[in-house]
Amino acid sequence: MIIENSLPILLSRLDFAWITSMHILWTPMTIGMSWLLFIMEVAWLRTGNERWYKLNRFVEKIFIINFGAGVATGVTMEMAFGILYGPFSQAVGPFFGNILGFETITAFMYEAGFIGLMVFGWGKISKGMHLFATFNVGLSSSLSAMWILVANSWMQTPDGIVLKDGLFQVTNWWNAILNDNFQWGFPHMWMATVELALFVLAGLSGFFILKNRNAELFTRLLKPVLLALIIVTPLQILIGDNIGRVVAQTQPTSLAAMEGHYHTYLPDGKVNTGWHLIAIPNAKNDGNVFAITIPHVLSLLETHTLNGKVTGMDSFPANDRPNVWVPFYSFRVMVAIGFFLFFVALWGNWLRLRGKLNATELRKHPWFLRAMVFSAFLPYLAIWCGWWTREVGRQPWVVNGLMRTYQGTSHMPVAMEIIWFVGYIIFELTVWAGSWYFFTRVIKKGVDDIPDSSTLFDHDHADGADVKAGGGHVTPTFASKPMLRSDR
Amino acid sequence: MDLLSIGRIAGTLTTWWWLLLSLAFFLYIATDGTDLGAGIFAVFSKDEEERGAIMASMAGMWDGNESWLVVAGGVLFGAFPLVYGSAFNYLMIPLMFALWGIIARAVAFEFHIHAKKSKRFWGWAFAVGSLFATFFAGVSLGATLQGFPMKSGLAMQPALAAHGVFAQNYTTPIMHFSGGILDFLTPFSIWTGVGAVIAASLAGGLYLCARFIPGDPIHERARKWTNVVSLLALAAIVITLVWSYALFPWAAAKWTGSDWWIWLIWFIIVLIFAFKSSTNHSVRKDFSAMMWGIGVVALLWAAMWATIFPYVVPNTWTIVQAANPADSIAVFTLFMTGFFPIMIMYNWYQIWVFRGRFSKKMAYGAH
Repeated sequence: MIIENSLPILLSRLDFAWITSMHILWTPMTIGMSWLLFIMEVAWLRTGNERWYKLNRFVEKIFIINFGAGVATGVTMEMAFGILYGPFSQAVGPFFGNILGFETITAFMYEAGFIGLMVFGWGKISKGMHLFATFNVGLSSSLSAMWILVANSWMQTPDGIVLKDGLFQVTNWWNAILNDNFQWGFPHMWMATVELALFVLAGLSGFFILKNRNAELFTRLLKPVLLALIIVTPLQILIGDNIGRVVAQTQPTSLAAMEGHYHTYLPDGKVNTGWHLIAIPNAKNDGNVFAITIPHVLSLLETHTLNGKVTGMDSFPANDRPNVWVPFYSFRVMVAIGFFLFFVALWGNWLRLRGKLNATELRKHPWFLRAMVFSAFLPYLAIWCGWWTREVGRQPWVVNGLMRTYQGTSHMPVAMEIIWFVGYIIFELTVWAGSWYFFTRVIKKGVDDIPDSSTLFDHDHADGADVKAGGGHVTPTFASKPMLRSDR
Repeated sequence: MDLLSIGRIAGTLTTWWWLLLSLAFFLYIATDGTDLGAGIFAVFSKDEEERGAIMASMAGMWDGNESWLVVAGGVLFGAFPLVYGSAFNYLMIPLMFALWGIIARAVAFEFHIHAKKSKRFWGWAFAVGSLFATFFAGVSLGATLQGFPMKSGLAMQPALAAHGVFAQNYTTPIMHFSGGILDFLTPFSIWTGVGAVIAASLAGGLYLCARFIPGDPIHERARKWTNVVSLLALAAIVITLVWSYALFPWAAAKWTGSDWWIWLIWFIIVLIFAFKSSTNHSVRKDFSAMMWGIGVVALLWAAMWATIFPYVVPNTWTIVQAANPADSIAVFTLFMTGFFPIMIMYNWYQIWVFRGRFSKKMAYGAH
């Protein structure tokens, strides 16, 4: 058994896997949806049409619950590198630590500075300033994703560094930042956040049209969303194909695990070109007990030739092989979801071409609406599966080929690892269940009780007596609306 | 002497980051300290409406304030990864509890507004979460001041050996934490936890006085609270100073060394600030009282860091030992220093937008 699968190390991996898996449930929505909120706000300001304002405020309610959960789970992440992987953090400090520092300073704090203005600033700051705040939330959260992907991609394809005095010292910043994996890894993750946010909007629309609540309003929302999806879903598949080929070139063990590809050559000496639809790896991790195999497909996928050689697990020492179960099945689920979402986007646009994109016609296609509601959950699973493929596929290395996971693990007893794990199961599940419960509550309340945008700047007159000292309803001097002396 | 030698420049830059680290921690204590203190105040609130009003009063800015902690963590990772990777390992238990407190508190803000039946539960999650986060942050600080044992080699060796796993010989010159998981727990670190709760309670009381309209029930209760807690805080400062003097030779050597008069003058200034805070408070100049109070924190915090110098963690990591290689520090300085004024600016703007006074009856606005 490889040392990374022994109980003390396996637990540390589980500890970290759990908190990251639960954190990635929140951040994609923040990143993707902030841009969609920005677009809706622009649409409202440009057309003056109230429906974009209402939709914005409605989605914002879900957004902010999601954001709170993201912060709650994210603060843990920021400290968990040092807590659970101290020696790793120390060794990679010169590059990875710097990048995480960049992230907190240029993105996390930047985002926190504007999110309060965006959510609570309605009517307190001018419309222009508010739009500016929304834009900054979008930009900062995407920046955050970029830095995190720089750091993680570097763990997959470490470049621009030299190991000296126990530290990964940087020799070339550009090579380290723009490492091979980052170039497709970041677009893949960023596109995933947009796809997730779009499907959340599509799912919400499907649900409201299905229940015949504000059906007209949500049909209006659905139209641009479906148009965006017909671009985003196939693009994401293409980007995914590219990152797959980067993995094939730079992380052959990870690719072999993803495909359950144990033998480079068949027993008769020919190149093994078979792609497995389903496989059951054996306990020794040196072959499959059972597999449904299609010849030539693997070579076609990875080398674009009929009989090209793809390096199998048997080309690597047993000690360096990752687990196959997790990458193999996670990868397949992710790909299947990617294609299913593309199919849903096609379905919707086909309905559009036939002129069925209005509330009455759509309700005659309840299965399409149900498919959209279902599709709102699938991107979450796809993102989980993608990350599991990526992280388990890299094992037993924490920095691919340079530092083993067991070498980076913190000094801690097994009992403590279990306490951490159990504690975080309780806390993260509470956050998750609570957030989803309150999502449903917000959805149940719907859009009808959101006041018109015309009430935004009425505070000073409506409840002036109560808020003499400002009451939180003040316009800053450098916002565009002139500040009246009586406002003070 | 070569003024432009890489070693000298790197040493200067690391000291610069040591100062920025202390600034980030200070901004966290100053801004989120008031929020946490208001949360501790809410532990003693009699009704849910009051807890709701307290939460509403900081709804627009708590997140920005709390993010200074994340910035401090990021600076530590970016500039002093050797401390980051060993101190956090050492502080695993207190940080874990503090993080649980922060999680409970962070989600409570959103859940409390939407909740109907579970309002009480989330109100308590906010209040108790604030108490936990403050106490364990204080414990972590005290524990850090005591330092911790380190070793080089494979960090997981003991746990692996205990499970009969043979690990190949792994050598590295880097020193990792090698003590016991409960090393952090001492009478002194428990005391600093209590001290942090008292300090935050005072900051929270001053904040609530400034935040709520005079005559409002919360304002009036916060006034009485502040009067009591300020006496406790003075006592806590004296106890902490005396205890530190007795416990830490490196502190004693500085305080009663040849520069004793600087420390004495500094302490007198602290007393003046505390007195100003107290007098402003009694004539109901609440905002000034809060700012003088934060001034006390700033002075004491600066004194603590001056006492620690040239260490990041006393007797464990010096600034130079703990810092990143010169090249990384240079890049970090070049690209990140400029963001500090920007961060302070938008955090300030955010607080300023939401500066108006509240009353208990003003629940959350529609959002």
